[in-house]
Order: sequence, then C-alpha cells, then structure tokens
Amino acid sequence: MLSQLLISGFLMGLIFSLVAVGLTLIWGVVEIVNFAHGAFLMLGMYATYWLYRLLSIDPLFALPICTILLFFVGIVTYRLMIRRVLTAPMVAQIFSTFGLMVFLENMAHFLWSSDYRLIKEPLVHGRLEVFGLFISKPQLVAAAGAMVATGLVYWFVTRTQTGRALQATAEDKEAAALMGINSDRMFALAWGIGGACAGAAGVLLANFYFIFPKVGDIFNLTAFVVVALGGFGSIPGAFIAGIIIGLVQVLGGHLVAPAFKSVIVFIIYLVVVIARPQGLFGKF
Amino acid sequence: MPLLEVNNLTKRFGGLVANDRINIEIEEGEIVGLIGPNGAGKTTLFNCIAGFYTPDEGSVCFAGEEITGFPPERVCKRGIARTFQLVRVFKGMTVLDNVMVGAFSRIPDADGAREKALEVLEFVGELENKDLLAGGLTVAHKKRVEMARALATDPRLLMLDEAIAGLNPKETEEAVELIGEIRRKGITIFLVEHVMSVIMPISDRIIVLDYGKIIAEGLPQEIATNEKVIKAYLGERYRAAS
Amino acid sequence: MTDTLRQRLIRQRLPWPAIVAGGLVGLFILAFPFLFTRPFPQHLMILIFLYGVLGQAWNLLGGYAGQVSFGHAIFFGIGAYTSTILLSRWNVNPWLGMLAGAAVAVLVSIIIGYPCFRLRGHYFAIATIAAGEIIRLIFVNWDWIGGARGLFVPMLDESLLNFQFHTTKAPYYYIALTLLVASILVTRWVERSRPGYYLMAIREDTDAARSVGVDATRYKLFAMIISAFFAALGGTLYAQYLLYIDPDSVLPLALSVRICLIPVLGGTGTLWGPLIGAAILIPMAEFTRVYLGGGGGGIHLAVYGALIMLIAVFEPGGIMSLVKRFRKRRT
Ligand SMILES: Nc1ncnc2c1ncn2[C@@H]1O[C@H](COP(=O)(O)OP(=O)(O)OP(=O)(O)O)[C@@H](O)[C@H]1O
Ligand SMILES: [Mg+2]
Repeated sequence: MLSQLLISGFLMGLIFSLVAVGLTLIWGVVEIVNFAHGAFLMLGMYATYWLYRLLSIDPLFALPICTILLFFVGIVTYRLMIRRVLTAPMVAQIFSTFGLMVFLENMAHFLWSSDYRLIKEPLVHGRLEVFGLFISKPQLVAAAGAMVATGLVYWFVTRTQTGRALQATAEDKEAAALMGINSDRMFALAWGIGGACAGAAGVLLANFYFIFPKVGDIFNLTAFVVVALGGFGSIPGAFIAGIIIGLVQVLGGHLVAPAFKSVIVFIIYLVVVIARPQGLFGKF
Repeated sequence: MPLLEVNNLTKRFGGLVANDRINIEIEEGEIVGLIGPNGAGKTTLFNCIAGFYTPDEGSVCFAGEEITGFPPERVCKRGIARTFQLVRVFKGMTVLDNVMVGAFSRIPDADGAREKALEVLEFVGELENKDLLAGGLTVAHKKRVEMARALATDPRLLMLDEAIAGLNPKETEEAVELIGEIRRKGITIFLVEHVMSVIMPISDRIIVLDYGKIIAEGLPQEIATNEKVIKAYLGERYRAAS
Repeated sequence: MTDTLRQRLIRQRLPWPAIVAGGLVGLFILAFPFLFTRPFPQHLMILIFLYGVLGQAWNLLGGYAGQVSFGHAIFFGIGAYTSTILLSRWNVNPWLGMLAGAAVAVLVSIIIGYPCFRLRGHYFAIATIAAGEIIRLIFVNWDWIGGARGLFVPMLDESLLNFQFHTTKAPYYYIALTLLVASILVTRWVERSRPGYYLMAIREDTDAARSVGVDATRYKLFAMIISAFFAALGGTLYAQYLLYIDPDSVLPLALSVRICLIPVLGGTGTLWGPLIGAAILIPMAEFTRVYLGGGGGGIHLAVYGALIMLIAVFEPGGIMSLVKRFRKRRT
C-alpha cells in the first residue's frame, strides 16, 4: 500500500518538476512570476484533447505539436504584454500575468464549458504489474516524458551557447548586455521555454488526468511551492523539489487525511519562504 | 563624549570582509568625510550604522547609547538620518509628501508635519517643486528632496552617501553650499564621496577606507599628501583602470 | 456651523456645480429603495456596496501599502462563519456576532501578517494564496462548522435588532450603505494622516521609508488589521443577507481575486477607486449571469481578466488615473 503510494507520488512529482522548471526559468531570467503558468498547462491539455477528439491524433503524437504551440504562446505573451511591464511597478507585473490567468481560464470555461473531460482510449493505457505493485502505464509514460523534458531543458541551459547566454542574463543583465547578449531575446526565449514546459506537462497529463478549465490552478500553486523549495531560478532545485512535493503529497494524504494533502504543501511553502527564502538550492 | 562612536566594527559578506575592525569617533558639529575607492566598504559602513545591516562584530554608539543592531526606524528616532547612494525618493508621491513622511517621525499630526516639511523645502530650495511628483525630477533635485526628507526627521547626525557624485559643476557648488548651511544649523555631517577634490574643502576631518580597513585619518591637507592614500586611492589601481 | 462648512468648501475650492451634483447623487442614493422597489435593482446596489467595502478593505493594504493580497476571502469568510456559528450554536445576536467576527478576523490577520510581512512582492502575494487555501481546506473538512455542506443561518423575526428582513431588502440596502460610507470615511482619515503617508512610503520604497523612521512591519499590520476588520463586517452582512454560507461561496480563491480586481480596475491607492470598480464590475457580472445564465459561464470573468491585463499594462493607476488625466487636460 505505502510503496504503491510512493510510486504514484514519485511519478506525479516528476510532472510537478517539469511544470516548476518552466516557472523557475521565467522567474530566474525575467524576474517576473508567471501566474498564468497553470493556465498554459491547461491550454496544453485542451489542445491535446481537441487534437484527439477532432483529428484523432493520439496524445503521444500531440506532444511535439502542443509543446511548440505553447512555446509560441509564451513568446507572444512576452512580446505583447510582459515586455511592457518589465520596468513597471511590481503590482502591475503581478496583475498582468494574473489577469492573463483569469482570462485564459474563463475563456476556456466559456468556450469549452466547465465539464470534466477525459481522453478515453489513449494509445498508452492500462497498467503494469511489477513486484505486486500496479503502475499506470500512462502515468509512467508521462513521468518518463517529464523527466526527459526536464533533462533537455537543463542540457540546453547549461551546455549550449544560447543556454549559457540565458544563464548569464539571469545572473546579471547589464554584464550580459556588455557581452553582447540581447536580453530582450533572452527574455522572450525564457518565456517560450517556460510555456513549452507547461505545454508538454499538459500533454503528458492529458493522457490520464481530467481536463477542465481550472485544472491549472492546483498545478500552478504546487509549482510555486516547488520553485520556492528548490530555490528561485534553480532547475536542479525544481527537479528535486518536485519529487519531494510529489512524495509529501501522497504521504501527507496517507498519514494525515487525503483532504489535507494540499494544506501540507502550502504550509511547506510558507515555512520555506519565511524561514529559508533562498530555498534548498542556489540559482541554476 | 563623541556623538558617534564606532568600535571595532566588522561586516562580512561570505568570505569578503567589507568592513574590517573599523573605529571611528565623530564629535558633535563636525563634518567628517569618508573616502575610498570603489568597493572599499563605505556604503556598507553607512548601512551598519543606520541599521540596514547588523555588524558581525563590534558596536555602534550614538550620543552615549549603544544602538548596534537597531532596526533603521529606531536608529532614525535616535537622531541619525541618511541619504542613499542611488537616490531613493518616493517616486509616486509629491515632493511635499516625500518630505512630510520624514517630518512625521517627530510630528504626528498632518498639519504640523506639512508646516515642517514646507520649512525644510524652503531651506533646501525645493519649495517651488513641492507639488510635482518626485519621480519626475532630475537627479540633482531628487538628491535635494532626499536630503530634505532626511532633514525633516530633525537629525543630530546626517549621513550623506555620495550627495555630490553625478552633479554638474553648478549643482555641485549649490550642494556644497547647502551642506555648509546644514552644518551651521548645528547638525553633524558624515559624508561619503569618492571624488577627493569635492570632499577636501568641506570636511574638517577625513577618513580613508580601502579594502574594508581604515588606512588613514586626519585633516584634509594631511590626507592629500599621505603616501598610503595616494597609493591606494590615486595610485596603482587608478592608473591600471584608466 | 453653516459658516464653517462654507469656509471649508471655499478652502477646498469645490465649484458649486460639483457640490450640487454631489448632493443630488447623495439624495438619489438615499432614496433609491423608494424609487426602485423591485428586488433586482436593490440586490444589485447591495452587492455594489458590499463589494465596495471589500474592495476598500483590500485597497488599504494592497493599494496604499502596496502589499498585494490574494487572500482577502479569508477575512470575509471568517466574518461570515463567526457570526453564523455564534447565532446557530449559542443564539448570539448577529450584531454581536458581527463584532466578534471582526475581532477573530483581526486576530487571524495578525497571525498571518506578522510572519508574511517579511516577504516582499511576489512572495507575499503567493503566501496569501497559500494562507487562503489552507484556511479554505480546513473549513471544507471541519464538520463541526458544516464542512463542505455549509451552514444555514437560523431564521429570526424580521427586525433591525435581529439583523434579518424577509419581506424587504431595503434595510439591507441601508446597512450596506452605512458600511460603505464607514469604510470610505476611515480610508479618508487614513489617507490624510500619518498612517496613510507611511503606507504610501512603504509601497514606494520600504527601505527608504524605514530610514526616515517608518516602522514598516507595524504600519503594514495596521493596514492589514483595518482591512481584515472591514472584510469581516462584509462577511457577516453577506451571511445575514443570503442566510446560507459554505466554503465555496465565502472562502474561495476566486472571491479573493474578485475582491482585488475591484480596486485594481477603479484605481488602487485612491479613495474612490474601489467604489468605481465595484460599480462597473458587479453589474457586469450580474447582468451576464442573469442574461447569459449558465451557458455564459466564465465570459464576464474572461472580460475581467482582459480588463485587468489591459489596465496593468497601459493604465496601472486604473480608472481614477484616467479621470485625473482627463481633468488635467481640461484645465
Ligand atoms: N549586500 C551585499 N552582499 C554581498 N556583498 C556586498 C553587499 N553589499 C556590498 N557588498 C560588497 O562589499 C564591498 C563593499 O561594498 P560597498 O558598497 O560598501 O562599497 P563602497 O565603498 O560604497 O563603493 P562605491 O564607491 O562603489 O559605492 C563590495 O565588494 C561589495 O561588492
Ligand atoms: Mg557606496
């Protein structure tokens, strides 16, 4: 029973990691919190759903399409909105992405109703039995996909030239500008990658999770906690913290009461930001 | 008894010792200049005195009482006011409101504070801008508003962090004159500047900081000819940089 | 007496047309329940006043002090729950329950505010979301207070003393109006005295404010306490008006969001911003709800969202700053 829970917590944690990596990247580079991050994830889920329903494209094949789609959603968000509030008072920054979240969620509600939807027969379905434990196949695929995606982002940021430029921008905008790095393009890229992470996570989730307009909320809030725990701007931090939160949720749900699993996660956020604002790990 | 007494103050940032066993005494009525190259630790010392940083070791005493580790607002209540190296006016408030915030520290009612603020604005020569938003002023004006805001708290010690840097010659002259007038009101002044030519004529005494340590202290003319100072300050590094 | 009033008006240099217009608007508002006797317009006005109070409560902390809270439903919900529980369990008069609710909300605001005020900006905003969700989840799972099923407010005889009216909405209208006027007067007092200046200074630059003697934590707490107080009063009014509460109606994140959207639209950190915001958003929400019914679900909130984005990007000062700019151009 317990190991069963731990496995599902671990698998879910990997998805939290991916969502949080996108958030932490935007936070680290642009220094703006994307309250619409969960809404991006929701868009990824609906895109997957409609591709499946209307064009019979399986979520597995929707993955590249939706990831690229959300990459552009991120870039457009930056170009049309974020760029204008970069130097604005923080309150304006908070409300810009917050307004975007309210807009996207309610547009989804308006267009697609608040019904819970599920992709009924994805290519990957059923479950595996390993040592007497049941593992849902779509969840396994989703977790593996999330881990690969997280790894790719990390590889990109630390090993490629563009990624290093991104990192340099995060550390010190002015110094990066002196080195000839165009911070505007780096900011756009961070938003693009951030959106893509949320989108990819949405697709992977759509394989087995209910799809509804507010589905992003809980992932968004969890991602804030993960980012805080992992250290604002740290990708490895977000990766490990995501797994920790995944485990804490199921364990808390098991040991205390299922209803209180989110309470425990939020308490972790409060304790971490108040007692140790730098998180468990540093930047990048 | 000196007005301000800094004893053996040390402040570290990780491995970096930004202030290394600093000892300073400032008498009531003096103008003391603090100079040193970039990164010497001048602003850090101000922050330690004003309560923005807690020193790792040592103590700060003001008017005979220890104030080490006090939060900034309490330090202000004791009679120390400061300005910031990169001006920090309340951008979205009018000039008058900016200064009233300072005045409120001694005068709780709005009418009294307004009167006091107007008085101080007249003194620093910003009265005609009182209804403008502080964020829209030029740097020179912002610096004067900031100074007025600090003066409105009725300080006994005024700490100015580069009040003159970045001003044009005419504005510099006005600022120097203003500092003289503040002193004439009996307010003690402790000022940081890293341009020596400005600080020399107005200071009674100069302290030189380099790599977190005091390397010299004395009358301006002594400092100007001090071997160590010339070496640290105008010497090797300066030439290497230019 | 009239003399001093005239002097005061002269000192403020209010043009006579403005005074006359203000007087007429005041009369109209006072006479409204007699002019519009059908329930819907009265209901609409009550909601506008109620959200005006909630928006003003948020405005003190979020607008003047710049501490963005996405958790104000906490205080509203505590107000609603406290008076309802006191009434249904121990038969405590709702007016006393209202005060008790405000007291509990103030206490909770201190418990939340004290540690959270060490956080700045985004971190504070997210912390308020976390606090709000924690409290909501506790209420949802707390059977003694009705859990997710919520609570019915016991029916009492219709009277002002009992804070219940079953045949007319007019008394609720005047109670809501009184609360609104009180919140505006208190804000006006704050705005023009030391605390108001301090709160604005904290919003503009907390460190600089501290350097001139502003005890930032203390004044943020001050704003939070008044804010929680008014939000809780609004909560009791809501409970006594609708006679049913549950966590989904008085504690959700969506309510916290609605509360802060109001002053953001009208103009944060201004006296009239919250009322203007409520006067625009609430009718918009109610009309879409009534005319589009369930099918239009979400569209008014989507419009809210778009409005908020546009305001944040192009007019962070809200409608009040548009008004100011317009006036400046005219003179
Ligand atoms: N909050 C901080 N965290 C880490 N290091 C700091 C911090 N503040 C200052 N330092 C470091 O301490 C040293 C002293 O800095 P400080 O700002 O006091 O110098 P300064 O003499 O005021 O220089 P300048 O003339 O450029 O204003 C510098 O090396 C600086 O990088
Ligand atoms: Mg300095």
